[in-house]
Amino acid sequence: MFDLVSLSVRNIFRNRRRTIITVFSIVVGFSAMACFGGFIEFSFEGLRETTIRTRLGHLQIYADGYSQHRVSDPESVLISEPDEVMAHIAKLPGVAAVTPRLSFSGLGSTGRTTVNVSVIGVDPEGEEEFADFETLVAGRPLEPGDPEGGLIGEELRNGLGAEVGDWVTVLTTSFGGIINAVDFRVAGVVRTGSKEYDSVFVKVPIELAQRAKETAEVERIVVLLDDTDDLSALQPRIEEVLSMFDDEFETRRWDELAGFYDAVVALYTGIFTVFAGIVGVVVMFSVANTMTMAVFERTGEIGALRAIGARRSTLVAMFLIEGVGVGLLGAGLGVVASWLIAGAVQATGGIAMPPPPGMSQGFQAYFSLTGDVLRNAFAVTVAATLVSAVYPAYAASRIRIVEALQQ
Amino acid sequence: MGVISLRAVSKSYPSADARLEVLRGVDLEIDAGEFVAAIGPSGSGKSTLLNLIGGLDHPDSGTIRIDGLDLGGRDDRTLAAIRNKKLGFVFQSFHLIPVLTAAENVAWPLVLKGMERRSRAARATELLERVGLAGHLHRTPGRLSGGQRQRVAIARALACRPKIILADEPTGNLDAVTAAGIMELFASLNREEGVTFVVSTHDPMVVSHAGRRLQLTEGTLRDTSRERPLHEDLPHV
Ligand SMILES: Nc1ncnc2c1ncn2[C@@H]1O[C@H](COP(=O)(O)OP(=O)(O)OP(=O)(O)O)[C@@H](O)[C@H]1O
Ligand SMILES: [Mg+2]
Repeated sequence: MFDLVSLSVRNIFRNRRRTIITVFSIVVGFSAMACFGGFIEFSFEGLRETTIRTRLGHLQIYADGYSQHRVSDPESVLISEPDEVMAHIAKLPGVAAVTPRLSFSGLGSTGRTTVNVSVIGVDPEGEEEFADFETLVAGRPLEPGDPEGGLIGEELRNGLGAEVGDWVTVLTTSFGGIINAVDFRVAGVVRTGSKEYDSVFVKVPIELAQRAKETAEVERIVVLLDDTDDLSALQPRIEEVLSMFDDEFETRRWDELAGFYDAVVALYTGIFTVFAGIVGVVVMFSVANTMTMAVFERTGEIGALRAIGARRSTLVAMFLIEGVGVGLLGAGLGVVASWLIAGAVQATGGIAMPPPPGMSQGFQAYFSLTGDVLRNAFAVTVAATLVSAVYPAYAASRIRIVEALQQ
Repeated sequence: MGVISLRAVSKSYPSADARLEVLRGVDLEIDAGEFVAAIGPSGSGKSTLLNLIGGLDHPDSGTIRIDGLDLGGRDDRTLAAIRNKKLGFVFQSFHLIPVLTAAENVAWPLVLKGMERRSRAARATELLERVGLAGHLHRTPGRLSGGQRQRVAIARALACRPKIILADEPTGNLDAVTAAGIMELFASLNREEGVTFVVSTHDPMVVSHAGRRLQLTEGTLRDTSRERPLHEDLPHV
């Protein structure tokens, strides 16, 4: 085996110019795939972190039955004693923040205009971690000790015609079914990244929200982790903590709550697959061409090897190893080339991208060359070279010995 | 029965009008240790005969036995093993592997046989010394002369200690002096190690080394060893 590999490798370097051209085409294909994959991966990461850190957290905890009864009987599925639960979860290593939420919709009014608002009541203390992805456009963030200050989205500011310091009245129905109104003062204006969300976004201290809904309970507890990758490890531990309480709970991971994320991933994965297929075909043609030429050039040797006792299978193996060798060489250099390209993009501050659909801001794109991205590109290129070496290898093994020896 | 035995062997090739019958029911017995020259005009079927004996091609009919083994109906694996162990081939155009050194070329039949690395290297060195190339072990064929290449090819043919060496115009690409050297080597291998040689040739010098001459004409073989003096038998080169 070693000798066969050694022979194949030497044959690869035999026609240097041709090998360089083939390897170069593989490197280009590999880099295109890795960079495109890296760009998609970067976009996924951005979308994932935006989704998690602006709205969903990593894990949400509700009272048992929440998903069934939240519309028909929301009051019955509130968490009555959230503080102790939160304290226990906050102690777990890897948990960045645990914070209660009580959200509702209503009408916001400044006296001049009235618009729909989606109010979210939060604990300003636990909320700092979430601020990451909310860009403050004016004013200041929520602060503990300011029970009447609230944040509004940039679009909503335009809708309401309200400025920092203005009072806004929110009209809603309490859990008891009574029309209720609460006032908050605009402490700051934020941009969440999503225009749609910005046009209804109101964030107030949870006490204010509880007052509006006339309850002392909370709707959900949001858990934010230090690192999204820890979620699968931490979820069972959080559930273990919850099981120590008498009350029953339900939990939902962020990806179960963000259906659009899956849809976006599915779409881009589909696009990537088509792209990888095209690159694979190009690589296949390039390698198939090289291998076919190699077989033609070496028919004399093929005959000689057969005469000294090489089986057909030995020749198949020899040419397959050669094809895969070219593929590995190209893919290996492709890794290096992709790193250089990604590094250059990083060094030059990224590629400026326009705002994605529904988002208000453009962003700088980078190539996230994760292990998966490189593995995929590697698998596609090496598989393509293997496939394209199959026919030439088979043809080499089928050449009639006497004809081969006439060369 | 001889080490090579042909019974009613026929071989034809498709051609424009009818089939071209190259061998018509050839019978042949060659004993171990013989040195046989196959002669005949170009196109008479010398290469065809050697290829059939070597299991590189199949006859249309008839049986070929090598060291008692019938080559008919064997699968690729078995034929490859027979070629590897029982036969050595020497060709007019050498057919060495250009990316391998002389020693590696000689060792390749042993690689295919499955011999362990160190024994292979020792055997290759020994053989290259035997053919007078002790100083050229690590040269690739591109850096060897035609005669040296043919010596490497002979060493390769000897690698698995075959009983038979089939040489198809082994001196066809060599000058007279070099060719004579190669034939001396053949003769000494035949004499000292009892290797059976079947050599096809147009060259009277080569034929002069042979203990037996086989004349191919119109698809039949005739043993001319005890007939006319050889120079009348051969076309002028
Ligand atoms: N693969 C083939 N297909 C068709 N005809 C062939 C094939 N191989 C050989 N022949 C024909 O068979 C005949 C014998 O060929 P062969 O090569 O055995 O002759 P030879 O005696 O070795 O000739 P030379 O002295 O020129 O080498 C020739 O007429 C040749 O054209
Ligand atoms: Mg011939």
